[in-house]
Amino acid sequence: MDEKFDCIVIGGGVAGLAAAMTLAKNNMKFLLIERGEFAGSKNVSGGVLWGSDLAKLVPNYWEEEDAGWERFINHRRLTLMDEQSAFTLDFKSSHFNEPPYTGVVVLRSKFDNWLSGKVQEAIDASDYAMDSFIATNIKVDEVLMENDKAVGIRTGEDEFHADSVIIAEGVNNLLTRQVGLQDKYVPADHMLTGIKEIIRFDQDVLEQKFQLNGLSGMSNEFVGWATDGVEGGGFLYTNRDTISLGLVLGIKDMREKKKSPHDVLNHFKTHPAIADIIKDGEVVEYSAHVVSSGDKRAMPRELYKDGILLAGESANLLMNAGKAIQGMDYAMRSGILAAETIVEAKKKEDFSSATLKAYRTKMDESYVMKDINGFQDAVHLLHTETMQQKVPNLICDFGRQFFTIKNEPTPKSKDMLKGAVKRHASFWELAKLGFKAGKSL
Amino acid sequence: MKNLKLTERLGLVSYRNQSKSEIKPHIIVDTDICNSTCPHKCTTWVCPANCYTMDENNKVHFQVEDCIECGTCMYACDQGAVDWNYPDPEIGRGVTWNFG
Repeated sequence: MDEKFDCIVIGGGVAGLAAAMTLAKNNMKFLLIERGEFAGSKNVSGGVLWGSDLAKLVPNYWEEEDAGWERFINHRRLTLMDEQSAFTLDFKSSHFNEPPYTGVVVLRSKFDNWLSGKVQEAIDASDYAMDSFIATNIKVDEVLMENDKAVGIRTGEDEFHADSVIIAEGVNNLLTRQVGLQDKYVPADHMLTGIKEIIRFDQDVLEQKFQLNGLSGMSNEFVGWATDGVEGGGFLYTNRDTISLGLVLGIKDMREKKKSPHDVLNHFKTHPAIADIIKDGEVVEYSAHVVSSGDKRAMPRELYKDGILLAGESANLLMNAGKAIQGMDYAMRSGILAAETIVEAKKKEDFSSATLKAYRTKMDESYVMKDINGFQDAVHLLHTETMQQKVPNLICDFGRQFFTIKNEPTPKSKDMLKGAVKRHASFWELAKLGFKAGKSL
Repeated sequence: MKNLKLTERLGLVSYRNQSKSEIKPHIIVDTDICNSTCPHKCTTWVCPANCYTMDENNKVHFQVEDCIECGTCMYACDQGAVDWNYPDPEIGRGVTWNFG
């Protein structure tokens, strides 16, 4: 491996693997470096991979007997919680039953490993079958810079050289900081901790519990009581014979409110609606990982510099604007676009920022940056106390009255709603909220 | 379902180089900062693996063995006490997720 690579990709997550796949398909000579035993072994997500980009990387992936994904989503739920109640917006449609699916649930240790196998197949089919590599068990200590341009990487005593480096190291982006694209210390303000348990059931039991058919699956997000007063939300996704149940919790808010993530997870699991779901399950893994919030104030100052491109969570590409938690699909698209930029740079034999800035343009023109730029107000709104606590409380209060049947005259719904609003917020507050929501969504 | 204790939860985690008694810590914490000027000592409650503990004299202690590499402490500590890195694949600890 003395020779110089066209590109070194750092990190075997969704972004790095999408980049590697694209490089392999374009006959580029590259090295993908993963610090875990295998791609995926260090990776955690909620997690749903939204959108259909996966079909671009691995056409007809759904036809494969044991592909790396768990279930496709055809059933979406958003639940507002107070202490005793759960008020759910529920949408299920056979419209989502046909491939390419618009969302698949994944477990990263399996999914990334599978995708990495697909990348190896693409390498084997490329002109550089003997010269491109996926190397595991290697931690990159440093991106090597010469005259402020990346020329390779160092791991321990060893150096590997390349015309370009795609940093896809994930949210804890030490190398992104080393090359000066982000500050050495990133404050907790817009960062959250994701924490989850994998809970196993008999597959039949799970399928009956969630009304699943074949490989269909459900995603459920939670707002309100779930987080015990901490900024954030909850999630539940169905895998083959397990569920992923967890929370995303603001780090700054936990610091200030003296809350432990594992205590908040216990709290969430005691909610009657959750306790009934999980009662006969067995916890088989506990995990946690930091995620970014989609707030642009936390993002690196640029996505590129001489010889370097950032993809995925290294660039804090993740957003929850109320519809879904999107991160892996942003990782996938950014990895693809980063690799395409490298392919173009190779044609020009120019890997300077003058050429690599095309990546910025591609990203700005893609749905990733269009959504991140367009939904900043929604991200801010979603993190306000009104949305996090008051709205779930008042909706559940209203629901309790609306669905209570007593043998006495029933008040009109609008009076129930008025009462609920008065108990938990004010009309003025809701009017402001409605106005902001109308603008931001 | 009975909630698990944190020790039971961590018992489900597969760590690397489990057989090695001597490992190179991937996070270095300057607990002198925690125990002198830090106004909150928040790592003792925000860490999902409870690697930071407080003793009866309110002194912060750190152990890296249970670390699941989530990164929370790197952001939560605003006092400059946490020097965070990834574990060395050969001589470090850290995780291998079975599900992830």
